[in-house]
Amino acid sequence: MPLPQRGGPLAGVRVLELTKVWAGPYAGKYLAQLGAEVIKVESRTNLDEMRAYGGVDIDAAPYFLSINQEIQSVQVNMKTAEGLELVKRMVEQSDIVIDNIRPGAMERSGLDYEHLKAIKPDIIQVSIKMWGTDGPFGYQTGYAPCFAALSGLNFLVGHEGEVPGGMNIRYGDSTAGACAALAAVAALNHREATGDGQFIDLSAVETMTSLIGDSLFSWSVTGEVPQADGNYHPEMCPHGTYPCADGEWLSIAVVDDVQWLALASILEFDPAPAHESLAGRLADRRAIDACTAAVTASYPAEELADRLRQAGIPAFKSQSSLDLCSADWLWNRGGYLMVSDHRTGNRPIIGPPWRMEPDQAQVERGAPLLGEHNDYVYRELLGLPPGDIADLKARKVID
Amino acid sequence: MTGALSGKLIVELAERVSGEYCGKLLADFGAEVIKIERPGGAPTRAMGPFKDGVLGLERSALFAYLNTNKKSVVLDLSAPADRARLEHLLARADAMIDDHCVPLFAKDQLAADYPRLVHCLITPFGQGAPADWQNAQPINVINAGGWAWHSPSETPPTKPPLKGAGRFLPNYEAGIDAALCVAASLYRQGRTGTGQFIDLSEVEVQVNRIDCVLGRMLAGEADPGPERTAYDMGGPAKSFACTDGYVYLFMTSKAHWKGLLELMEYPAWAMEFPEDWLEFHCTPDKVALFRKHFAIWAAGQTKHAVSEAGQKLGVAIVPVNSAADLPGNEQFVHRGFFQTLAHPVLGEALYPTVCYKLSATPVRLVSPAPALGQHSGELA
Repeated sequence: MPLPQRGGPLAGVRVLELTKVWAGPYAGKYLAQLGAEVIKVESRTNLDEMRAYGGVDIDAAPYFLSINQEIQSVQVNMKTAEGLELVKRMVEQSDIVIDNIRPGAMERSGLDYEHLKAIKPDIIQVSIKMWGTDGPFGYQTGYAPCFAALSGLNFLVGHEGEVPGGMNIRYGDSTAGACAALAAVAALNHREATGDGQFIDLSAVETMTSLIGDSLFSWSVTGEVPQADGNYHPEMCPHGTYPCADGEWLSIAVVDDVQWLALASILEFDPAPAHESLAGRLADRRAIDACTAAVTASYPAEELADRLRQAGIPAFKSQSSLDLCSADWLWNRGGYLMVSDHRTGNRPIIGPPWRMEPDQAQVERGAPLLGEHNDYVYRELLGLPPGDIADLKARKVID
Repeated sequence: MTGALSGKLIVELAERVSGEYCGKLLADFGAEVIKIERPGGAPTRAMGPFKDGVLGLERSALFAYLNTNKKSVVLDLSAPADRARLEHLLARADAMIDDHCVPLFAKDQLAADYPRLVHCLITPFGQGAPADWQNAQPINVINAGGWAWHSPSETPPTKPPLKGAGRFLPNYEAGIDAALCVAASLYRQGRTGTGQFIDLSEVEVQVNRIDCVLGRMLAGEADPGPERTAYDMGGPAKSFACTDGYVYLFMTSKAHWKGLLELMEYPAWAMEFPEDWLEFHCTPDKVALFRKHFAIWAAGQTKHAVSEAGQKLGVAIVPVNSAADLPGNEQFVHRGFFQTLAHPVLGEALYPTVCYKLSATPVRLVSPAPALGQHSGELA
């Protein structure tokens, strides 16, 4: 059966994913959400761990279902020579190949760029590794919080005067995936202009490092090593999150002196003359933070946020997972979407953070069952007769 | 310079870090990015730190970092003649990037006047959000998107949620997605000859980055809640102080544990832990006990030596690097991540570049951030 026409800027682009866990699948998801046809190569003998986490049914795994919308799943056992040949035939039909499997694995399977280029001369290959494809540390593997620690990013995140705790342990993979998608699409433009493909070697550590680019560059200019600085901001004061009633917290950023006076008026304290300038407030910022927190603590966060925003002061309640799941403003704008689900009929997902007019790609189908698109790939793309497919299944080349 | 986006002309009306970073990413791919600055200069020129602590239009390190490979044209858009210059430029541009809450051009008018143009508008909450939400600063965005509430992992409820690294973390994240959308839409433009309007929400980028953790809660497979630990994984992973900084240890399996035992040379306290405790007996009590002992051991180690030894034993232990650790790091050197570039006022400095190496179109920083209006003469 042909796939639905979903539109979107990348309509007609085919992506083959040899990806696992999060960073690679996130790149595939983004390309699919832009309209590309994304085929995920999977195998029962070498399953994406995300199909195993959080339950026993590999077709209903919560983490997997939460990422892989609008993805096609094809089963191939890449540990067999025949399976590898089938993957190469899929490469021949693809524009982009993405992988984030362990260092050296693509090379050992003959799926490195030199080999892929021989199969499909204008292929674009994107390889995501902790430290990139080669180099002295290229052999190392790690997890997202390791990228964030190595990168210099986590050193900058912590309450003042404490061991820097870094960003939440989940931070890192998804951003690396977004950067992989970006590089792939840039390369696609180059291919349109010149006919040439290329190899893209992505380092997840460097993804994290690039997110603190201005801090690092500033160090090079000023010689001051940046430190974990809580919620300190050299150009805004007060600037932070302040406790509210019932354990809630409110983020407030006072951008200028006028806003400072407005804040003082709403919180009903007398602004000291020394605090009318940014320099004066920064010099006394701990006292100002304490004084602000003492007043905010008796307000519900939403109510105070509303009052502050109406006075032009940037403020927003710090959102917990419960706040996010029940946020009408995310549901109403299409930040969350419903997609199809094999088991329950439909499932809410986090939609793409962009809207396009015209020609937004449709996102309607939930994550695939393992091998759901075997027929599409083997019959329609590769043109295998049904008998061959049955035979490959029987011999567990398709598994 | 031959880059992946060579030949594309992009007009940057953006004046915040989100849009400027988006423009930088595209400029670094070789697109010609013309930054339109107001008389007196972009607001980011007035943001520090400044060379030698002295304010000045060409002295901001922030501006210098965000605007490499771009051109600067000064236009007073309240003056009809300059407005006409901008309109001429848009007529031949491939894309335009804006990040103002109240955009200069209505999207429908722009689409009617320039049907080929890719128009990207980045705002804190996206189009349709209440006007008084849209002046959100980065700290509001990262709090609205949930990462602040949950960072660092295991933060007690009495401590404030944090803004993330540096001043602009959510802006960088939004800039990446905006650049992705622009690049995709340019590809479509090449095929169809028509443009698109792209409406990007900074907060929705934040929410998207946690898709598989929050998605389970949205679908009712895990319980959302007010806990600060709702995104955490459990287990002993954490940063520990050592003699010269910090190390980060991540551990989830028997193999990790056996490697760590060897690294620590089998101390008596550790031998009392079951070999498979990480998989089957990972209780809060055990985690706390482990951390207490490991912290004492780690305090006597140096971050690079212990990490290297640990990696060789299959332990996911890494140094928590500071800015000063990075330029000399062998792997960063090997990949050429930092590039030296001379700026007429800031002098020679180290620029962090990008995380992707493109074999046919490598990213190169060719020109430092432009002086204010340096390229105004190029515009008719």
